[in-house]
Amino acid sequence: MRFKGRILHKFTESPVLELRLPAWRSRLMALVIFCCFGALIGRSFYLQIINTDFLQEKGESRYRRDLEISASRGRVSDRNGDVLAISTPMKSVWAIPADARLDPQQTKQLAGLLEADAKELSHKLNSDKNFVFLQRQIPPDIADQITALKLPGIGQDKEYRRYYPTGEMTAHIVGFTGVDDKGLEGVELAYQSQLLGRNGSRSVIKDRRGQIVEDVGSIKPPQDGKDIQLALDSKIQYLAYSHLKQAITDSKAKAGGAIVADARTGEILALANWPTYNPNNRDHLSGAQLRNRAVTDTFEPGSTLKPFTIALALEKGKVRFNTIIDTAPGKLVIGQATITDSQAHGPLTVAQVIQKSSNVGAAKIAATLPAQEMWGMFDGLGFGQAPHLGFPGEVGGRLRPWKTWRPIEQATMSYGHGISVSLMQLVRAYTVFARDGDLIPLSLTRAGPQRVGGTPVFSQETARELRAMLEMVVQPGGTAPKAQIPGYRVAGKTGTAHKLEGGQYADKYLSSFIGFAPASDPRLIVAVMIDEPGIAKHYGGDLAAPVFSLVMGGALRTLGIPPDAPLQVANGADAPAAKGKL
Amino acid sequence: MMAGTSDARRQTGSEVDLVLLWSALVLLMMGMVMVYSASIATAEAAAATGHQPAYYLVRHGVFLSVALVAAAFAFQVPLSAWQQLAPWLFVAGFALLVLVLVPGIGRDVNGARRWLSLGVANLQPSELMKLFAVLYAADYTVRKMEYMGDLKKAFLPLAAALVAVGILLLKEPDFGAFVVIISVAIGILFLGGMRARLFAVLIVLLIAAFAVLIVVSPYRRDRIFGFMDPWTDAFGRGYQLSHALIAFGRGEFLGVGLGASIEKLFYLPEAHTDFLLAVIAEELGFAGVLSVIVLMGLVVQRAFVIGRQAVALERLYPALVAQGVGMWLGVQGFINMGVNMGLLPTKGLTLPLMSFGGSGMVANCVALAVLLRVDWENRQVMRGVKL
Repeated sequence: MRFKGRILHKFTESPVLELRLPAWRSRLMALVIFCCFGALIGRSFYLQIINTDFLQEKGESRYRRDLEISASRGRVSDRNGDVLAISTPMKSVWAIPADARLDPQQTKQLAGLLEADAKELSHKLNSDKNFVFLQRQIPPDIADQITALKLPGIGQDKEYRRYYPTGEMTAHIVGFTGVDDKGLEGVELAYQSQLLGRNGSRSVIKDRRGQIVEDVGSIKPPQDGKDIQLALDSKIQYLAYSHLKQAITDSKAKAGGAIVADARTGEILALANWPTYNPNNRDHLSGAQLRNRAVTDTFEPGSTLKPFTIALALEKGKVRFNTIIDTAPGKLVIGQATITDSQAHGPLTVAQVIQKSSNVGAAKIAATLPAQEMWGMFDGLGFGQAPHLGFPGEVGGRLRPWKTWRPIEQATMSYGHGISVSLMQLVRAYTVFARDGDLIPLSLTRAGPQRVGGTPVFSQETARELRAMLEMVVQPGGTAPKAQIPGYRVAGKTGTAHKLEGGQYADKYLSSFIGFAPASDPRLIVAVMIDEPGIAKHYGGDLAAPVFSLVMGGALRTLGIPPDAPLQVANGADAPAAKGKL
Repeated sequence: MMAGTSDARRQTGSEVDLVLLWSALVLLMMGMVMVYSASIATAEAAAATGHQPAYYLVRHGVFLSVALVAAAFAFQVPLSAWQQLAPWLFVAGFALLVLVLVPGIGRDVNGARRWLSLGVANLQPSELMKLFAVLYAADYTVRKMEYMGDLKKAFLPLAAALVAVGILLLKEPDFGAFVVIISVAIGILFLGGMRARLFAVLIVLLIAAFAVLIVVSPYRRDRIFGFMDPWTDAFGRGYQLSHALIAFGRGEFLGVGLGASIEKLFYLPEAHTDFLLAVIAEELGFAGVLSVIVLMGLVVQRAFVIGRQAVALERLYPALVAQGVGMWLGVQGFINMGVNMGLLPTKGLTLPLMSFGGSGMVANCVALAVLLRVDWENRQVMRGVKL
């Protein structure tokens, strides 16, 4: 320090030196640099402490992404747990065009895997959007191959594809979904809110190449949709579908439908339509294939409505079981219109009017009833009102207000013309005969095992008398001996309706049969409708009744319902099988 | 290695400025860690690096070792020898700057021709020229000290040399090196006692010249506009700066943690070179940035203190060299950090002592060794040792 002191002393006394290297310049220069550094500290403080929220927000907008975690849609199964609709995991492939800089070779490879047009693909990759889907519903193995290409800006998300194991057999009842799990038809649409899962989400930070770096915030787990168990029985559905299909093919008919319902619970055990479609591959779908005819199409039911008119007349004491109605000469003129029977029967008991399906007889009985009472009965049976199963496109049919009825209209309505219903409504209405006069609602989903209580329409006596009459229909002398089932007592009614075309009855028919069994204690109701058969034998007893017999017989055996009739059938092959069930 | 040159008088104080030494060493070590952190993801992803995560770390380590060896040698060289060498070094540097522009010799990277291939590594003459310019400008100023009031004699010869160097640098282009060399040379003239009024005129002229350059060259004008408001064109011109600013914003007080930067994951270009501070800001926060600024400030402050001690010891050339080194590191550090924070327009300048880059590392370390040599010689003189 001694030296330093001496030097400093010398320095202060040296004006030459001071002139040459003035210390203030050095200090000024250092000060300027320190001020600059101070500004840096200030700026850094501003960016990191004060403006940090703004900057972080900007940052998050660039690399924070909210990802959906897809929830699985609920399964649809039949009453035995057999799967009718299930979601299988798939991938969707997307691109961020700004980052997806692919060379032509890569584009070609990707297009090959996606089974897409290379030109269209490169058009998508060059779009100025932030995000584009390249292809959805890619099977997992293809998706893995795309991952292996390690293409920049191309990513994948998990999604699900709906698969329908039972295919076209249950297409109309189960329906199908579109992309994004949106139910478009059938149960898939009807129970959309229950089936649909709620997607979860997670926030992630991604690097510029789309790789996830970390999760930020909490992960919201996906909530899978609820499973729906239908009342449907796949085995009975198969019977209904296959026999209906066979009959329609054989009779060269345009379309048809069949329903099997449980008379005790109102559960729909089967619902088949033809034509149908494969819900797993819906290319080239036509509207005709899509139509759930049994529910959405109404038709003039024809003679299947006669039992209701008769029942009302019995209920009101206008006629009795054996009251004689003269139907000769098979014609009845009301106003300017003439009602005819297919053949003249002469005098018939009320029961025979049903058995022979006499239009004249039904019209004469209807003439004894006030229009308002008839209307009230039809209304009570649910005609004119949709059955509220939850199906999309359910119709209520047409039941005009009684005040507008003319006598001829009341007469034709007694045998099912001038009124329109769907097959489903008809099944619901027939629960009054299968049961002791009460109407029960139908249900697509499983109901409890308990017997459902219904709304009384007819008395127990009337219902039983009608059951006896309907049993006569399938016996010799009736219109539908072909509806018989070995080992079981069967009751039912044929219908052969002229189709209305442009307000005129055309030479086209709608052939139907609806019945229930075992007649001693009805368990099942089966309705069959065949639309526009292309052959001469178009009567319900010839076309629809055999289908009824096959479906009902199979269903009774499937459910193990004990036979209620002695085995007296010629068909020996069936006898041991039926005995075995006992 | 530097303290090892003396074994006597250990009790009376250290042989060199320990604050300077430790500040510089901490910056070097911190730089190595951050270069690794900033480059690991890009190195692993790039085919050019053979997908080796440590590609840049290994090279940075080698550069640093070479630089420290070079510094050890430089420390052995007395300032008197540096003064004698200075004009020749300046001429050699000038020759290299010419060479780098010769097609086929200079290496073109991203539209800039700044590198000479040496086989194993690339040499960046502009980095060496910064050191040579300091050594030469100090020598020149000392020689012309008597004419400092005279514009023609004192200023014009150096100005002519600087214009020639400047033209070569702008040809590359290396605007950052140009700014550093010109401002440091002028700074040395100012410290050397050049007339204040002349200095003021010069500053005005310089500012005007920069303005013209920026207006004439669209490439630089774009950089200017990007810096004014990076958010208006955040995915175009403002892309790099906006990501640097986001990195700062994410850092907050203590940072997101070493290695946890998101911006280095391909968002922020040049993360391990020009924008290393942004990664420091994100990973180590305001605390990390403040440390770097303070350490850098200490280096600059010690350089000026050592310079003024040399003045007091009538050692004019060492005084100007020491302060020249201080100004160089200060100016370059300020510009680099200012660019990172959006205070200054973006230009290619590394963060001294920290960023990845061999030539710059060697030049910086040699400059520090010369600075320490000045300090060591000061201490020797104060102890009465005749140099």
